[in-house]
Order: sequence, then C-alpha cells, then structure tokens
Amino acid sequence: MKAENGILKGELKVRGGKLIKCRMRVRGSVIEEIKFSGDFFMYPEEKIEELEEILKGVEFKEEKIRGMVIPFFDNTELIGESPEDFVTVVSITIKNLKKGEKV
Amino acid sequence: MSSFLGEKYSRYWQDFEVYGEATEIYHFSFISMEFRLINDGWRNAYENMAVDEAILMNNIPTLRLYKWKPSAISIGYFQSMEEEINLEECKRQGVDVVRRITGGGAVYHDSDGEITYSVICPQEMLPRKIMDIYSLICSSLAQGLAYIGLNARHEGINDIVVNGKKISGSALTKKYGNVLQHGTLLLKVDVKKMFSLLKVGKEKISDKEIRSVEERVTSVEKEGGVMDEGKVKEALIKGFEEKMGLKFYEGELTEKEREDAEKLREKYESREWNFKR
Repeated sequence: MKAENGILKGELKVRGGKLIKCRMRVRGSVIEEIKFSGDFFMYPEEKIEELEEILKGVEFKEEKIRGMVIPFFDNTELIGESPEDFVTVVSITIKNLKKGEKV
Repeated sequence: MSSFLGEKYSRYWQDFEVYGEATEIYHFSFISMEFRLINDGWRNAYENMAVDEAILMNNIPTLRLYKWKPSAISIGYFQSMEEEINLEECKRQGVDVVRRITGGGAVYHDSDGEITYSVICPQEMLPRKIMDIYSLICSSLAQGLAYIGLNARHEGINDIVVNGKKISGSALTKKYGNVLQHGTLLLKVDVKKMFSLLKVGKEKISDKEIRSVEERVTSVEKEGGVMDEGKVKEALIKGFEEKMGLKFYEGELTEKEREDAEKLREKYESREWNFKR
C-alpha cells in the first residue's frame, strides 16, 4: 500500500514496548486494503499476509473486525502482543477516519 | 547449570510447562549435539541474510559468527523500510538496508562495532516453545560473556543486559523444520550515528534523547569487557558448550548452501522484498 490520499494510519504501543502500526484504505464502510507493520513477533511470519487478506472487504465495525481477527490467531503464535492488540490498532485507525484525520 | 553428560550421549531438550524460571528436563538420546562452527568474518547485508537462510534450509546444526561490511541496518520482517529508516542518510553514509526473515525491530550493524551470531538447528534439538528457545540461547550467551568479564543476563523476551542495560538483541524464526535465532553483541555503540540512520519521529534528535538511549544501551567497550574479537568469540562458544552441552567442529558452507545462498541473495537485494511493507 503506497502512502497516498485516503490512507488512514494508526498505531498501538503494547505493554512490553512492541509497536503495531496499521495503514488502511477504506471505501464506503468497508476496508479495501490493510497493512500491519512494526517490531512485533508472529510465528509463522507469513500469516500476517493472510490476516491482511481476510480483512479486505470487511465492514469496519469493531465487533466484525474482532470476529475475524481473534479466531485467525488460533494457529498463530504471538510473542509480546495479543490478538486483541490487533483489534485495538484497527479500531484506533478507524477512529482516525471518524475524526477526519485522513493522511 | 553446566553440562555433565558423557561423550556417548547428548542432552535433548523438550518443552515442558514453565513455572517462573525456565526449567529443563534431560533425557538421554542418540541425537547428537554436534554443531558446525562457521567463523564467517565480513559479508554485506544481503549475503549475510542469504547465508543465514541457506543454512536454515539445509539442516546442519550451526553456530555462525559474522560481521557486516559495509555497515548496514536490518529491519524486522513486519517493519516498513520507509517508516523506519532514513534512506537518504543511509545512502549518503554508504549503509546498506535489508529486511530480515525474522520479526522484531531495526538494528544498526556497525562494521566494526558488533559481532552477529546465528544459531540454526532442527527444531527437535531445542525446546518447542519460542520463549524457552530465547531463554536457552540468550542465557548461553550471557554465560559466555562472563569469560570477557561481563556480568550479563537474559531479560525480557530476547534481550541480554549488563548492569541493567541492553548489550544484545535477537530474533528467531522456525522454517523448513529448523530454527534460526540471530542476534547481535554490541562491541562499541555510537548512538548519534544510529539515530542519524533511523527514523525516530523527529527531524532532529536532542542531546537529551541521545542520553536517554545511552542510558538504556551499552556495549562490551563501555562495560570494560575484553574487546579482542577472538576472545569474544571464544567466550560465546564456551557459553554454548557449557549451557547447552554443544560440541563444536569448525566448518564451512557446503556447496549446496553456497548455491542456495547465491539464489537467496537476489531476494534480499530486491526492492520487492525490502519494500514489501
């Protein structure tokens, strides 16, 4: 995802100091594209791409996001952050839209 | 804890429930804890990452000790190159940039200021839980650092600290049935230079912020440890021998590993890989 108009950004510093950043492009009320970045740990690493893929087209309501994100991490090991942290960072990013803080 | 097993048998690590401090169980098996030692000297960033992955693909338990020339920054698998690194400044100073296959943060690898290690072996030679692997490898390194006069210990997820300050960081991945943990040991640290290469959210870094990092990060030099590279490497090796019961033989990359590394180098040099997020 290139930095361009209409891209929302949010970030979350989790307990223990790891940082999860989120960039998102939305259309109407759905996520068109989403990318996570940061200094966190996830095993296997490539699962992050799957997570970004399954969130495409999802309506950006917190419970919808949570419904996708939490079960996704059943087979993925996180060190230093939790599945809920990913829900939180998406919510923070969406709030930036509501505040009109488009980047 | 020290190794106490005879030559015939080796220790075999298994996972277990951890209550507080990591515990370990021993059981006797014929799994060899022989490790190849590759004393690799300098390579550039792309080759270094390619060699680590090539070894990871080829199932030979290995401890590799290496350095970076030119100096480089490696970023974690999940990081964004543009967000983390001052690319213009890196170019100006001739510092390479590369994405790792392991998670974690951006690391500045000074060509003369650090030694990097990688421990690569089949998963069954190590505990199954990632935190237990970090604990085992980091505490081995910490034990080894005593031989160069440092009182080091494993802290947090994967840090090694001396006098409460970080002297080593690391990251690991599991792939191809094997584990790779690579990390750095800071010999010297130049926080000002490090900050000039990394994006830290501000145009100009204040002296106060530099001091704040200097209060959290240290080096062998700052702690008054032995700086001789050969002795530092010997110390790290002793740590692994004592703590994990490893036996080392000196070796080089196999032809297959060289070929794999050559192919992988193209990946690590590519814009597609380095700028993928």
